[in-house]
Amino acid sequence: MRTGFFGNRRRRMIFCLCIMILFLLGICVWGLCLEEAAKVTDFSRKNLSPCPAYLFGTDWMGRDMLVRTVRGLSLSIFIGILSAVISAGIALFFGTISAVMGHWVDGLVNGIIDLVMGIPHILLLLLISVALGKGVFGVVTGVALTHWPSLARLIRAEVIQLKESPYIQIAGKLGKGKGYVIRKHMIPHLLPQFIVGLVLIFPHAILHEASITFLGFGLSSEQPAVGIILSESMRYLVTGEWWLAVFPGLFLVLVVVLFYVSGENLRRLLSPGTVHE
Amino acid sequence: MVRNRKQKGRLLTILLSLSVLAGCGATGTEPGNLEEKRGQEETITRDDVIVTMPVTSEPESGFDPAFGWGAGEHVHEPLIQSTLTVTTKDLTIESDLATDMQVSEDGRIWTVKIRDDVKFTDGEPLTAEDVAFTYNLCKEKSSVNDFTMLKEAVAADETTVEFHLEEPFAIWPYTMAIVGIVPEHAYDENYGQNPIGSGRYIMKQWDKGQQVIFEANPEYYGEEPKIKKVTVLFMEEEAAFAAALAGQVDVAHTAASYGGQEPDGYHLMQVQTVDNRGFNLPCIEPVEQAGVTYGNAFTSDVEVRRAINIGIDRDKLIENVLNGYGTKAYSVCDKMPWYNGACEVEYDREKATRILDEAGWKENTDGIREKDGVKAEMPLLFSSGDSVRQAIAEEVSNQLGELGIVVTTEGVGWDTAYTRAQSEPLVWGWGAHTPMEVYNIYHTAEKNGLGLAEYSPYANETVDQYMEAALQTENLETSYELWKKAQWDGTTGITQEGDIPWIWLCNVDHLYFVRDDLEVAEQKIHPHGHGWSIVNNVDAWKWKE
Repeated sequence: MRTGFFGNRRRRMIFCLCIMILFLLGICVWGLCLEEAAKVTDFSRKNLSPCPAYLFGTDWMGRDMLVRTVRGLSLSIFIGILSAVISAGIALFFGTISAVMGHWVDGLVNGIIDLVMGIPHILLLLLISVALGKGVFGVVTGVALTHWPSLARLIRAEVIQLKESPYIQIAGKLGKGKGYVIRKHMIPHLLPQFIVGLVLIFPHAILHEASITFLGFGLSSEQPAVGIILSESMRYLVTGEWWLAVFPGLFLVLVVVLFYVSGENLRRLLSPGTVHE
Repeated sequence: MVRNRKQKGRLLTILLSLSVLAGCGATGTEPGNLEEKRGQEETITRDDVIVTMPVTSEPESGFDPAFGWGAGEHVHEPLIQSTLTVTTKDLTIESDLATDMQVSEDGRIWTVKIRDDVKFTDGEPLTAEDVAFTYNLCKEKSSVNDFTMLKEAVAADETTVEFHLEEPFAIWPYTMAIVGIVPEHAYDENYGQNPIGSGRYIMKQWDKGQQVIFEANPEYYGEEPKIKKVTVLFMEEEAAFAAALAGQVDVAHTAASYGGQEPDGYHLMQVQTVDNRGFNLPCIEPVEQAGVTYGNAFTSDVEVRRAINIGIDRDKLIENVLNGYGTKAYSVCDKMPWYNGACEVEYDREKATRILDEAGWKENTDGIREKDGVKAEMPLLFSSGDSVRQAIAEEVSNQLGELGIVVTTEGVGWDTAYTRAQSEPLVWGWGAHTPMEVYNIYHTAEKNGLGLAEYSPYANETVDQYMEAALQTENLETSYELWKKAQWDGTTGITQEGDIPWIWLCNVDHLYFVRDDLEVAEQKIHPHGHGWSIVNNVDAWKWKE
């Protein structure tokens, strides 16, 4: 038997989750304060390797890479959250109407899901972003419009299953209204799935934002986005300026992994039944 | 659990693809038979060279002058084909195929006699018919260079060709220096892939996206090329640098950021250029026309433009951005025979401050200047992905910030840049071996219907008149004087004392790593474009014994 505060797996998980959320929130808030600082160029301090004053070094225009990285990550996180929320909203809407209305609506929604899933994410994302004139608007719309299908499918399946489950049928027979059934029986069951799905879209959204920005179809090049930082750094790797790519890259991966792990933890907390899987 | 695993897998895929994409940037082209070549090097003197060029230098539509080969956005000698004239080191005109040139009194008919001993590499002689055919073809097809002044070209006899022009065009010899003559009998839509010419080199092999191999033309009518084989590899700067480090190439193009790190066995060659960088300042108050804004409230004040011109420390900019590999620029045509020295200004920050103060641009509490509610702020656009232009924009922003002018930099794509430049300053790169560039930038154009210059709103009747007169003169020498007057005639023009509609900052030196025992012949001042200019005289290069 494990004892003590951290012996409890649930408590331990909540603790970890809090730390992660604090870290991500910290980056967001820190990044918010650095909006101006991330754009400062100072040619008197260009191409410095990591040192106590500039922990991540500086680039060819003398920009502090630590500041740029943090600002870039916070930008990525904001874009990720925004597009994930929109994406999840679309998923919830389509999944529910598809399950509730059935017939041709179901067929249509399934068709759209198959269509979107049939095209590689990055390609569709790129098309949408370029068509909308790139920038934050293009990226957010692109990510939002490409990441909903799997979650929509999940929600549709859940709702169909719920609709047919005995306790909901019985509730109906007992004369409970639709609103009551949805509020008391459906939402508590759907919510965990939805929240976990939402959180698990974050890392995808962040990585995809970085990818298309890296390829030059996302945010414009004066922005301190991680994709920009990485694509710029490629030019300087051959002359040995490794710090331009390594730290921002590592931190991007760290943020993505943290989001992913928090999503997983959240899933275990919200649906404890899976422990037995 | 299944969903969980799938999601993990997908995440991994994205991560992987990101890292693969990252890898792509640095991969180079591996030319085939390098080992062999290095073997030869030890025994006999080589007579071939391997040169790298930026990927963008590869001619998309092939080696066809009608589709921009030589006579495109970036001008250079066409190597495969001969031209009627050539430009010399000091950018005056000498003849190649032409033996005699006459212009009619009204300036509308150019009569050019050509050599009668020139053969294409397929054995057919080059006649005036071919010349006329080439020019008519360029007029019909060329979208990258301007041939609208040409009405038609006519072959009067075997060796005489007449160019009938729509308007007098005194600088016609500069056009003749970039148009390679193609054979009428062997021309079809695939000409660009398998060009036949009468020039110094024959194109032997073209592996698209990788390399082009040229071999010396044994039948060439001029001096025999010393270098018998030229291999051109297309690669990005970092790949060219890596290729030089590995000793795989003889001449590698490079940029200021690599300048300090010469690979073993190579030295850095600095070529002076007129490849300038500068930015436009819209000269009129904003007006709307067909959904496009022309003009800018802040830069429409001539005093502001003057203050900016002398308020920028060009030396510091060149040191910071180009690591010193550049020269100060004061016009679009520095060092050219038609450049007017009056364009030059001294950096003087105090004077710039005084000009702004006197013009009523007073600093407010935030240290930002303001006049009648208009803030002293402007964006400065640059083309995304061009690190030099970005750094220039940032440096200008920093320097003007000290004058109390707020400059916000922004990266844009070329799809929107031209339109936005009508109301917002943009960092441009220009520089060509013809005075037409001065005309293109400062002369008013029909295009927008506002009677303003094409790329940035500006109009000055006197400047226009000088340039029109320059095009109508009979000889080049007098036309140079008129081009100079268009820049500054003592009372008006496009200089500091005049309207100063464009600020010119620097000419970017073209940098190359050259193998130590290769002697690259003296280069003429390179125009805009870091590509084919280097091999203009590759036939005269030689290896040290």
